[in-house]
Amino acid sequence: MRRRHFFLGLTGLAGCTGSGKPRLNVINYSDYIARETLTGFEREFGVELRYSAVIEGSEETIARTMSGNSGWDVVFPENRLVQPMREMGLLGRLEPARLPNLSHLAGLFRKPAWDPAIEWSAPYLWSCCGILAGEPAGELSRWQDLWQPRYRGKITMLDEPSEVFAACLKILGYSINTDSPEQLRRAQELALEQKQVLRAYLNTEVRDQVVAGDVWAAQLWQGSAQLSIDQAPELRFVHPAEGYSLYCDCVGVLAESRRRELAHEFINYLYRPEVARANSAASRALSPCATGNETVLERGEWFQTASGSTQRLRDRLWTEIKSA
Amino acid sequence: MSLRRWFLLPAWLVTTGLFWAPMGIVLAYSLLTRGPYGGQSLPLSLESYQRFFDPLYGEILLRSFWIAVETTVLCLVLGFPLAWFISRSGPRRGMYLQLVMLPFWTSFLVRTYAWVFLLRDTGLFNSVLLALGWIEQPLPLLYNHGAVLVGLVYCSLPLAVLPIYSTLERLDYSLVEAAADLGATPWETFTRVVIPVSAPGLRTAAFLVYVPALGTYLTSDLLGGGSTILIGNLVQNQFTTARDWPFGAAASLILMVVVLAGLALVARHREDIL
Amino acid sequence: MRPSALGLYASLVYAFLHLPLLVLAVFSFNRSRLTRWEGFSLRWYEGAWSDRALLAATANSLTIAAFATVLSTVIGTMAAYGLWKKRSRWLTASLSVSLVTPEIVTAVSLLALFQMVFRVLHLQLGMHTVVLAHVSFCLVYVVMVVLARLRTMDASFEEAAQDLGATPWQAFRDVTLPMLKPGILAAALLAFTTSLDDYVITSLVAGVDSETLPMIIYGMARRGVNPAVNAISTVIVFGLGILIVVSQRLEQQR
Repeated sequence: MRRRHFFLGLTGLAGCTGSGKPRLNVINYSDYIARETLTGFEREFGVELRYSAVIEGSEETIARTMSGNSGWDVVFPENRLVQPMREMGLLGRLEPARLPNLSHLAGLFRKPAWDPAIEWSAPYLWSCCGILAGEPAGELSRWQDLWQPRYRGKITMLDEPSEVFAACLKILGYSINTDSPEQLRRAQELALEQKQVLRAYLNTEVRDQVVAGDVWAAQLWQGSAQLSIDQAPELRFVHPAEGYSLYCDCVGVLAESRRRELAHEFINYLYRPEVARANSAASRALSPCATGNETVLERGEWFQTASGSTQRLRDRLWTEIKSA
Repeated sequence: MSLRRWFLLPAWLVTTGLFWAPMGIVLAYSLLTRGPYGGQSLPLSLESYQRFFDPLYGEILLRSFWIAVETTVLCLVLGFPLAWFISRSGPRRGMYLQLVMLPFWTSFLVRTYAWVFLLRDTGLFNSVLLALGWIEQPLPLLYNHGAVLVGLVYCSLPLAVLPIYSTLERLDYSLVEAAADLGATPWETFTRVVIPVSAPGLRTAAFLVYVPALGTYLTSDLLGGGSTILIGNLVQNQFTTARDWPFGAAASLILMVVVLAGLALVARHREDIL
Repeated sequence: MRPSALGLYASLVYAFLHLPLLVLAVFSFNRSRLTRWEGFSLRWYEGAWSDRALLAATANSLTIAAFATVLSTVIGTMAAYGLWKKRSRWLTASLSVSLVTPEIVTAVSLLALFQMVFRVLHLQLGMHTVVLAHVSFCLVYVVMVVLARLRTMDASFEEAAQDLGATPWQAFRDVTLPMLKPGILAAALLAFTTSLDDYVITSLVAGVDSETLPMIIYGMARRGVNPAVNAISTVIVFGLGILIVVSQRLEQQR
């Protein structure tokens, strides 16, 4: 009998988190929104925001929603995934009339190349991928430097095929969006060569290893890198001389959403100047509403949607790199 | 319908609906082709299976098989003396057994994560060795084959000790003494008496360790630093990042075949399991 | 091996099994986020306690584990009883194969099922899918444990009850079930801890409201060492440890 009460108690405990308020389900990366954005929106609109930060890699956004019955309302796909998600019928059309705050978007983000009319997605935060370096790394300004034997066992690359290939392709002077199997193979050769001096392929988990000094230099996204620099000011972020990849995470409403109106309210809320600033400050990624970041764009190249055959070739070449 | 049939019905429904049906879907998917942006679509093809004749994927399979065998052997070799020790320690047996099982009850992720904490350059081992002046540079302990192996053995060792212990507990120690009295060397006693008697336990232990080790992907992710790829990573990758469901489905079924082949080798008596 | 050497070996293995968790626990009280000891502090526990996502995930984990435990224990006990006196080739085979299926394969197959069936039924992924998935992998453990207990029992009690006029159901309820209680409790405990611990399957079939504690821990570990993970882990280790020890004490007293 007592056990039964125990179980009933547990269920009751979980029941307490539910309330009668309207709900909005949002899925995003971790550390990618200001805490006060969530509480502020909840308070102002009298709703419950279920914000889940389980997304670890950009492709996961598709994997988690491709069934069309995921239950999420608002998603944050990377710019190169907007087209595939649209063609798979996952994204719903945005209603500009409900999004007056989009007028705060600045510069090229008013007409982004991947969705010029902001029909399916609006730019949320953007940044680039470069190198987070600690003091022991010494002189370091290019991707090519990460191939130096003196860094043996002290550097890491991201565990993301697109970013590793982007770095290699930039060294070779190619576009990061190349479809040429020849160029991708040459990039793979470079990556295989680098694996000899590499410590591991790590994503954001590398940050505290750079802070602690385990790792001297790591390929990393600028936003994540800035978060560690805030903790350890002796670290620095390098925009590699050969050029680098740019990405923009966008916000969209899923076609399956049954709370489109509220979802639009939420997106509109994200573009209030003070909210956009807070999100950019919390994630340390760049806000598309802010100006003055033109220098980052100069040597950067935006990721584009890869064709099926390119993606497959890259996946295979990546598996070969990992197996080597 | 008899009471017995009513009693079996729910379990029958669960295994059919939540095991065989999903497996059937996986089988069906493995015969389809990847859609333009992922998922699965027509036409039917055997292409996903053909890809496994590619040495690249064959090698991944072999590597996973090998690391599972290494883990199993290490667990048996490390676990046997411990099980022997526990079975011979009289009234404190229960407590010693609890001590083996306690880490097993805690979270798998936590146990793996603890090793990241110990093995990194600024982790406990390296800090202590540096402080003692035994080394001048931190040793590269994390992100290699050894680290993955340690993680796997650490998580599976309790699973190996338990079944070995339960057969050793039933072992009549007078057999061992009799063998010694008859002039058998300790080694002979061990191989001719102890091993045959504890064989069922060893088989179950081997099996309990082998299966999770074969399908592992978290351990190789967290402790291997993504510099190697095992069949578990391959499957997970196809369903999340690469979104090549037919290939992922084929890889899972091939993994199943490897598991069942191992089962056929290890467990000749089906009662060992259920 | 001489006894002393064997004892030494055993203590080494025990150290291997327990030191990592002990170290983790000790450093969860460290003020610094690095491995250097900089003084005692409870800041990581405070941080964990004020983390909304973490608390929600804990509630989710407990709810899922409770439902999965009750369902799998009931179904598993019934099945074990059904298998006791007469084997069922199909069910035994199904359970054995599901036991040996690597987690990742179970995970992708359930994902495929839920995505397909639920799309047709217009249902969403969520806590109920996670509960179903957990029932499917906990079931075999329950059957194993309860069946092992049944095999040590004497079937003649039940037969005697039936000879005295009890229906099969009465014989089960009044004779066998009470004797089975410790086994059922052990099985439920195993199911509960297995469900609480699962990451691989849960992470793939999870939807809204089904983010569990292991998923949060994995996310934190992937984002870099956050000593809050050490704090949560310590709570889990000791919480579950105490639960196990207490339940076993209760069982021994019986």
